[in-house]
Amino acid sequence: MLALTSTHLDSAVDDLRNGLSSWRLSHFLAWQDVKQRYRRSTLGPLWMTLSFGIQIFTMGFLSAFLFGAALAKSFPYVCSGMLLWALITQTINDGAGLFVASARYITQIKCPLTVFLVQTVWRNVIIAAHNVVIYVAIALFFVVVPSRSMVLWPLGLLLVVICLSWMALVAAVISARYRDVPLMISNIITVLFWLTPLMYFPEQLGKKRFIADYNPFTHMIALVREPLLGGTPTLNDWLVVLALAVVGWVGTFLFFARFRSRIVYWL
Amino acid sequence: MLSIIGKDIHVQFPIYDPRMRSLKYSLGIKHLAKGISRVTTKSWDVGGQIGTGETGRIVVKALDGVSFEVFEGDRVAILGRNGSGKTTLLRTLAGIYEPVSGAIQAVGRVFPLFDLQLGMDLDATGIENIWLRGKMLGLTTKQIRDALDDIADFTELGDYLHMPIRAYSTGMALRLAFAISTAITPEILVLDEMIGAGDDAFIARADARLKTFLARTGILIIASHSTSMLRQWCNKGMLLEHGRLVAQGSLEDVVSAYQSEVAAERR
Repeated sequence: MLALTSTHLDSAVDDLRNGLSSWRLSHFLAWQDVKQRYRRSTLGPLWMTLSFGIQIFTMGFLSAFLFGAALAKSFPYVCSGMLLWALITQTINDGAGLFVASARYITQIKCPLTVFLVQTVWRNVIIAAHNVVIYVAIALFFVVVPSRSMVLWPLGLLLVVICLSWMALVAAVISARYRDVPLMISNIITVLFWLTPLMYFPEQLGKKRFIADYNPFTHMIALVREPLLGGTPTLNDWLVVLALAVVGWVGTFLFFARFRSRIVYWL
Repeated sequence: MLSIIGKDIHVQFPIYDPRMRSLKYSLGIKHLAKGISRVTTKSWDVGGQIGTGETGRIVVKALDGVSFEVFEGDRVAILGRNGSGKTTLLRTLAGIYEPVSGAIQAVGRVFPLFDLQLGMDLDATGIENIWLRGKMLGLTTKQIRDALDDIADFTELGDYLHMPIRAYSTGMALRLAFAISTAITPEILVLDEMIGAGDDAFIARADARLKTFLARTGILIIASHSTSMLRQWCNKGMLLEHGRLVAQGSLEDVVSAYQSEVAAERR
């Protein structure tokens, strides 16, 4: 039952290749999703930015109060971390609903499944870009100067997005077969929120610091957050995220190859 | 020369008890489909045969060893009673369902046109929907731009084209969808029921457009119960029964085989 044949692998390679080369279609669909939100209200996704702003405002104060940091330190820290955390949670949660949401397309036309994966990831990157406004405002207010390690920032972000892509794909495949999985995933993410240094600093965990160190999301966040705050991600951060991207994608590819042709039957 | 050849195609649908769609349930209890184990494997008048798949799961054998050869210029009618596998065959031809065994070899691009309104957005204007639907059909930006005036003129929707299609009547939206969908030049066109649109006044124009559309089509494969319509457009036929191809050849022979099958059931 779990036999993986070369046909499986070839078709999965085709799906990924054709899906990625149809990036124009993915971009078009993602942009359409964003436009639809603008159409329904004039603020569009900026509504979400607004609610993001309120969340940061609350968390920034709470973090300063609970963990005894200065506002000038807690606000940029919380905001830069949450900027990425929002992207992570939204992409994985959307990933879980990905094939079910695109079922109408998948059962009516032949289209690489990768197109819908790229659509979902790209849509969330576009929406996350809206939230940058809040960070810029905070950085200007508290005069936070990014460090020179910003040169590598795009690469860090790209690595994180690559990691998120395989996570979304795994969530998508399992959720197409088992319909109770999206809820489990969103529960797991809620727990991970508390285990990831977003409101507190890793040092504040004291002897329990390993909780943060063994959490891959800590390193994904650090890669994007540290340069913004004027620091530098450690080599360890880079290696963990790089390994996560490579190992994750190899495993996901094999998993996707095995079940890809079954997905349409599950919808 | 365009062609599409099917060799001993088998397609099976797994039947899931609702509980089997739950990961929690599937992990906890290691028995399969208790609820549907009462289903016998005797054959019925309608539907595919029920049997057990490779993994011992209950499956419906929707296509059971279907082979055919279709060449350029052929206009093939697919006949069969409800549940005989017509739609499954069409979707398999289109590459949407991948067969469990057997193969389809197509020379030329297979173009399924099942849902004329696929990709259209109720909140977008008529013009925007021409772009949306056009992209979904795989047209390039230039092709859409070139066809835009022709599509707009044909629909006779005038200023409505600049309003969200939510404001359209069902018939108006269908007119637009029909106009866009028939702007393409398909190599191998696959239809589930004949497409069409419009009220009595419009129908003559729609028919004329349909005629030129089908004339540019290399191979037409269409499923329907309407023998009069099939006689108008087709020259060949295939008759499906319980997922097996029981007759193929000239349209008249297949239609009479179908009619005697239907007549036999009435008695």
